[in-house]
Amino acid sequence: MQRRPGWFIAGFLAPALLLYVGLVLFPLQQAVQISFFQWRGTSSVVKPAGTANYQQVIRDPVFYEALGNNAWMAIVVGLVVFAVAMLAAHALKKRDRPAKILDALVLVPMAVSSVVAALLWQFMFHPQMGPVPELQKLLGLGEFQSGWLATPAAALPAVGVALAWLSIGFYVVLFGAGMQQIPGEVMESADMDGIPGWAKFWRITWPLLWTVRRTAVIYWFISVMNTFAIVYLMTKGGPDHRTEVMLTYLYITAVENSQYGYGSALAVVNLVLVLAISGLLMWLMRRDPTEARA
Amino acid sequence: MNRPFIWKLGIVSLAAVAAFGCAPVGTETSTGKPEPAGAGTSAPAADAKLAGNLEVQAFKGGFGIDFYETALAEFGEKHPELKTKIEGDPRVWERLKPRMVAGDTPDLMFPGWGMDHWSLIADNQLMPLDAALDSPADGAEGTWRDQFLPDMLQIGQVDGKTYLLPLYVNLNGWWYDKAVFDKNGWKPPTNFSELKTLCAAVKAKGMAPITYQGKYPYYMIHGMLLPWAYSVGGADAMKAVQNLEPGAWKSDSMLQAAKMIVELRDLGYFQKGATAMSHTESQAEFVIGRAAMIPCGTWLYSEMKDNLTDKNQLTFFLPPPVEGGKGDPSALIVSIEPWMVPAKAKNPEAALAFYKYMTSPAIAAQFVSEKNTLTAIKGSESGIKLDVLRQPAALFAASKDAWAWQVRDWYKPLHTEIENALTSMLNGELTPEQFVERCEKAAEATRNDPNIAKRTL
Repeated sequence: MQRRPGWFIAGFLAPALLLYVGLVLFPLQQAVQISFFQWRGTSSVVKPAGTANYQQVIRDPVFYEALGNNAWMAIVVGLVVFAVAMLAAHALKKRDRPAKILDALVLVPMAVSSVVAALLWQFMFHPQMGPVPELQKLLGLGEFQSGWLATPAAALPAVGVALAWLSIGFYVVLFGAGMQQIPGEVMESADMDGIPGWAKFWRITWPLLWTVRRTAVIYWFISVMNTFAIVYLMTKGGPDHRTEVMLTYLYITAVENSQYGYGSALAVVNLVLVLAISGLLMWLMRRDPTEARA
Repeated sequence: MNRPFIWKLGIVSLAAVAAFGCAPVGTETSTGKPEPAGAGTSAPAADAKLAGNLEVQAFKGGFGIDFYETALAEFGEKHPELKTKIEGDPRVWERLKPRMVAGDTPDLMFPGWGMDHWSLIADNQLMPLDAALDSPADGAEGTWRDQFLPDMLQIGQVDGKTYLLPLYVNLNGWWYDKAVFDKNGWKPPTNFSELKTLCAAVKAKGMAPITYQGKYPYYMIHGMLLPWAYSVGGADAMKAVQNLEPGAWKSDSMLQAAKMIVELRDLGYFQKGATAMSHTESQAEFVIGRAAMIPCGTWLYSEMKDNLTDKNQLTFFLPPPVEGGKGDPSALIVSIEPWMVPAKAKNPEAALAFYKYMTSPAIAAQFVSEKNTLTAIKGSESGIKLDVLRQPAALFAASKDAWAWQVRDWYKPLHTEIENALTSMLNGELTPEQFVERCEKAAEATRNDPNIAKRTL
C-alpha cells in the first residue's frame, strides 16, 4: 500500500485551515483580548482593565435577565417548537395531497429571513391593526395599554411566537428525515400486531428518533443562544430589558454604547456558556436509553 | 461523544492563552496615551490653490448625499488640481469606525447618528477647527465663525475648542394637523392646562389625543420629559442634570415632568399601544388621523412625505409648557448631526475649504430650499420654500434659548438607562419618584466612573 505523503494531505487541509484561523480563531482571539481592556472602538487607544469587565459581568443584573430570557426561549419555546414539529412531521409522513400542502406551508417560514420574520410579526402584533390584538379584542380579552411588544409580561411570549414560527420548519424537516429512516418493516409488523397509532408513536417512532432528537436539542440550544435579529428588530430588547437576550445586550453595549471591552467580555462569557452547556447536553444525552446495556 | 466538545474547548483555551501573550488591540497600539491631534489647520482663503486628494465620507440618510456631491463637483471645478471623491452610505459609521481605528481616515466626514463622535474627541481623533473658523468666510463678510449661529457651534465645543461643525438643525417639538384641528374647532395648546382640556375634547371625539414613538423613548424624552423639566426648573436645572450634579435628577423639575407624563397616561390621553410603536408606525397613526398630536422633530415632514395626502396640513408647535414655570416658554431643544475633520486627515486644508464653501450663505440657503430643513448658517432661512418649515423657522428665530440635550451623545450608556426607565414608568412599573431615583443612580454611576470622559456646559 502506498504511503500518503503528509504534505499532500496538508495541501488539501491548508485552505480550510487558513479560513478557519482567519475567520474563526483570529476574531475569537481578538474578542478575548479586547475583553481585558477598556476600548471605545473609535481609535487604537486602549486601557488595560484586568478582569474588571468580567467582574462587572458577574454583578450586572441585565446579564442575568438576558441569560434568563435565553433560557426561557430555549426551554419554553423549545418545547413548543419540538412538539409542533414532531406532530407536523408525523402528520406529513402520509404523503397524500393534504400532507403535501401542509408540508409546503410549514416550510415557508424556513425560506424567510429573520429580518423579514421580525417585520411580519411586528405587524401581527401592531397595537392598532395587528391581527393578534384584533383577535384578542374579538375574544373579549381586552387589550394591552402598551401593546404586546411593550407590555412586560407579553413581550417575551410575543417574540417567542415569532421565533417558534421561524424555527419550526427546520425541525419538521429534521424529524421527518428521521422518521423516514425508521425501517418500514418495523411499522408493518406493528400494524399486523394491531398496535394503535398513538402507541406506535410512543413505542416505536419516538425512541427510534433518539439520535435526531439529540442533534435537534443541541442545535436548538445553540441557535437560541445566537438569536439576535428577531429580538433586536421586534423590541430592541425592550421594554426595559424584558426581551433582552445575550446578543442584543452585547451588541447594544459594544456597538451602540461604545463599550467594546465590556461587550467583548459578555461575548466571551456567552461563548463559554454555549460551549459548556452544549457539552453538558451532549454528555447527558451521550447514550441511547433504548440501547441494550451490556 | 465528548470529543467535539473537548476539541472546541481546546480552541477557546488556545485563544485565551494567545490573548494574554499578545500585544493589545488594533494594528497600531498604544496603552492609554492618546496620540497628539492636529494642532488645528486654518482653511486657506477661498481663492487659494488646493491640490492633492480630498476624500469626503457622508451619512446617506433622509437627505441623501446628492447635495454634497453637487457641491463637491462645483468646488472641484474651482480647484482643478484637487482630486475629489465622495462616498455615502446609510450606515457609513460602520465603514468609518475601523478606518478611524486603523488611522486611515477620510479628510472630511459626516459620520451620522451611529458614530460616537464624543468618543472620537476623547480619543483625540478629531481636529480642533478654531483656527479655520477664525479665517475669512467664503462668500460673505467677516470670519467663517460669524456665519454660524453661535449656539449651534457651541454644541460641538469642548474646553473652548470646536471639533464638530453643524450643517442642518433639527428642532424638537410637537405636531398637529391643522386641517383636523380646524374641522373640529381645536386650537394648539399653549400650556399644559390647555393641553389637558384639548385632550379631553379630542378623546370625546373618539380620537387618540397623543401618540408617540414608544419603541424609541428618545422621542418622549426630547418631546415631553426634557421640555417640561426645563419649563418647571429653567435652564439652570437642565444644566445641572447635564453636568451630572448630585441630586439634579431628583430635583423638582425632573420629578414634575415625570408626573406630567404619568398624568396624561392615567387620563387615557395616550394612544393605546404607542409604547410598542416604532417611529414610522406611530407617525403613520398621526398622519392618517387616528391620533391628534405627536412629539417629533422638524424632520417629521420629510420622513412622512410619502404618506401625506393633499388634506394633511402638518404644523409644528412647541411642547406646551407649564404655567408659572421658571423656564422661558420660547425655549426649544435643538439637535445637530455634525461634520468633522479627522486628526489624521491627509488634506485638512482642502476639507475645510470645501466645508467652508458648503456653509457659505448662498449654498446653505440652497440646502434649505432643496432639503426643506433649517440649518445652523445665519440667513439660510431665506431658502425656505415650504410652508411647513415657516412655523419652526419663526419659533427658532424667536427662541430665547435653543439648547441641546448633550447627555445622549456624551454618555450613551446613561441615556440607554434613562430610556429604559422611562418605558418602565410608562408601563406602571415605576412611579415618577422611582423613575427619577433610577436616573439619579445611573447619573451617579456615570459621575463616579473614572473611565468615562466628563463634559460640562
